[in-house]
Amino acid sequence: MEENLKIEILFPEFCNLYGDLSNMKYLQKCLPKAHFHETAFDEEPIFVKEKVNFIYLGPMTESRQEKVIQKLLPYKQKIEELIEQNVVFLMTGNALEIFSEYIEKEDGSRIQALGIFKIYAKQDMLHRHNSKFIGKWEDIDIIGFKSQFTFSYGQNSEGYFASVEKGIGINKESKLEGIQRKNFIGTYVIGPILILNPYFTKKLIQKMGIEEPKLAFAEDVKKAYEYRLKELQNL
Amino acid sequence: MKKKIAFYFAFYLAKISIIALKMIKRDATQFPGKLAITLCPDFLEKIGKPKTIIAVTGTNGKTTVCNMIENCLKENGYDFMDNQLGSNTNSGIASTFIKGAKLSGKPKKDLAVFEIDERSSIRVYPYVKPTYLICTNLFRDSLMRNAHTEFISNMLSSNIPKETKLILNGDDLIVSNLSPENKRVYFGIDRLPTDTDTCQNIARDIIVCPKCDSKLEYDFVRYNHIGRAHCTKCDFKSPKIDYEVTKIDFENKTMTIKHQEKEEQYDLIQDNIINIYNMLATITLLQELGLKQEQINPVLSKQKIVDTRFSKEKVGNIEVITQLAKGMNPIACSRAFDYVRKESGNKAVYLLLDDLHDAANGSENTAWHYDTDFEFLKDESIKQILTAGARYLDTKVRLEMAEIEMEKVVCQREELSLTEKLNLEGIEKVFILHDLYAMDLKNEIKEQVKRKIQEEQK
Repeated sequence: MEENLKIEILFPEFCNLYGDLSNMKYLQKCLPKAHFHETAFDEEPIFVKEKVNFIYLGPMTESRQEKVIQKLLPYKQKIEELIEQNVVFLMTGNALEIFSEYIEKEDGSRIQALGIFKIYAKQDMLHRHNSKFIGKWEDIDIIGFKSQFTFSYGQNSEGYFASVEKGIGINKESKLEGIQRKNFIGTYVIGPILILNPYFTKKLIQKMGIEEPKLAFAEDVKKAYEYRLKELQNL
Repeated sequence: MKKKIAFYFAFYLAKISIIALKMIKRDATQFPGKLAITLCPDFLEKIGKPKTIIAVTGTNGKTTVCNMIENCLKENGYDFMDNQLGSNTNSGIASTFIKGAKLSGKPKKDLAVFEIDERSSIRVYPYVKPTYLICTNLFRDSLMRNAHTEFISNMLSSNIPKETKLILNGDDLIVSNLSPENKRVYFGIDRLPTDTDTCQNIARDIIVCPKCDSKLEYDFVRYNHIGRAHCTKCDFKSPKIDYEVTKIDFENKTMTIKHQEKEEQYDLIQDNIINIYNMLATITLLQELGLKQEQINPVLSKQKIVDTRFSKEKVGNIEVITQLAKGMNPIACSRAFDYVRKESGNKAVYLLLDDLHDAANGSENTAWHYDTDFEFLKDESIKQILTAGARYLDTKVRLEMAEIEMEKVVCQREELSLTEKLNLEGIEKVFILHDLYAMDLKNEIKEQVKRKIQEEQK
C-alpha cells in the first residue's frame, strides 16, 4: 500500500548538487500518498529506529563527504542489515563513495569510508570528467550523464549497477558502472536519473512493493526517454 | 638568460602574429596570448604589467561590471588596457598585455581592467596580481566545468594574491568569505520590501554554517543564497557592509548608497536587482579608486546594457523584450524567470535555452533544469510559454514538474515555426529568453514577433 511507504532523503540541505533532488520530487509525484522524510544533518536518520522502504542520498561537495562519512559511520551495521532486508537505496554521484572503503585525496591521504563495498575512490580535483552514459540494468537501458572529480577502483564485478554500453564504468577503464547489492544501488550517473529513466523508476517502485505503479507524466517522460536514448545511441 | 630569450622570442612572435591576424582581418584576442604561453609557460609573469590592475570575477555580471567600469574610466580621462573584446582566460589576458606592451615588453599604460574567469584563477593569479579584485557573486554554474561553488571558492581563495584588495558582495555568504586574510570592502543592499524570510529558490548553496554545520538563520533572503544570515550557535554571520544601498526608489529610478555615514544618490539604469548589484560593484570600485559621485553618476546613468543581454522595444502597443538567460546557468535563468513574472501586464514567454552546439553534435546534459526555478513561470500573468529546440521534450517534462498548466505551453522541436503559435490576444509584453549562443535565433524570432504584432495590429 502506497500510503504505508516511507522514503527517507538524507541531508538534502547539502547533498543536493546537480539537480539530483529532482529525483525525489519526481518520486513524490509518482507516489503522492507515500510519506517522504527529509533528514537534516543534525538529526538522527529515521532508518535507525523506523521501518523505511527507500533511502536516498545525493551528490555533495568533497569536504561534505568527510562529514557525511562521520555521520553515517555509527550506523554502518544498521545500513548493512537494511541492505540484507532488501530496502531500496539510491545513492547518486559521489554519494556512492561514502559506502566504499576509502577516498584517496590528491596528496595521497585517505578518508576512511564506511567500507560496505570493496571499492575505493581517488580524487583528481584538477580534471573534471564529463561523459554521456548508456548501460544495461536488468533488461532496461539506463541513460544519463556523468560529471565528476573522482573515479572508483576495485572489485564491483560481483555487484555492479549496470554494464556499460556507451561511456565509462566506475573508472575510465571499467565497463561496469556503479555498485549494487540486493536493492542498494550506487551510481556515478548524476542529475534527474529517475525522470530520464521511467522504466528504471517503475522497477524501483515495484521493488518497494507497489505492483503496478503509475508514473507521473508517464507519456511525456517515456517520449523524452526514447528520444534521448536514440540520440545517445547515435552519437 | 635562457628564460629571457624564451620570453622575448614568445613576445615578438606574438606581436608579429597580431599584425598578421590584423592583415587577414582575424581577431587577435586569444591566439597571440596562447602562442606566447605555449612558447614561454611563465610568460604572464615576465611580461611588464601596469601599476594598477582592476580584475572582475564572479559567476554572473562580470562583463556588465567591466563595461561600466571601463565607460566611467574612459569618460573621466583614464587611459587603460582591457580584455573587453577578448577572452577572459589566461591567453586573453596575455593577448591584452602583448598588445599593450612597448617593444621592450614594458606596458604602455599604467592601468588595466580585466574580466577574469573564475576557473582561470589558477593560471592567472600566480602571475598577475590585481590591485583590486571585484567578486560579483558565486553561484552554481555549468556543472560540467565549474562543478560546485565550494570548488570555485576554494580555487579563488587559494590563488588570490595576498596583496590584492578585495571588493566583495557582502550579501553573498560564499563570496564574503573568500581569502579571509586579504584587505577588503563589502558592498550590499539593505533589506528590500520584496525580500523574504525564507528562500523560494531550488538552488541554495549555504544553508548550514560553514564553521559549525548548524542551520543558518537568514535575516532576509533576496534570492538563492543572496541575503543576510547568522549562525545561532557560533559567531559566523554576514559581514558589515561598507557601501550599502539603503534606499531604492523604483518610481524615480534612483538609489541611495551609504558609505562612512555619507549618503549619495545615483540614477538606476535598470530596475533589475542584478543590474543594481552590478552598478553597486562598479561604484564601490570607482570610489575606492578615488572617483567622486559627480564623476561616476553622469556616466553610469547613460550606460546601456548591451543588446546581447537585454533589449526592449515597443511594437504597436506590445513590448518585445529580449533577455539573456544563459543555458547551463541555473541562477541566471532563474533570475530571468523571476524578472518576467514580476513585470507588470500579461505576457507571452519564449524559452530558447538549449545549448545549440550540443543540439547539433551531442546530447545536452539537462541536469541544470532541475536547479533552475521553472516554477517561477507558474504565474497568472504568464499566458503562454513557447519553447523549442533539441531538448523540447525534456523542457516539457520540466514544465510539468513545475506544475505549469500545459494548455499554456507550446513545445516543439522546430524553433523557427514557433511564432506561428504565438497568441497575442491580451498580451502586453513578449519576452524572448535566450541562451548566450542563440543570438542569431533570438534575432530571427524577435523579427518574427515584431512582424506578427504589426500584422495583427494593422
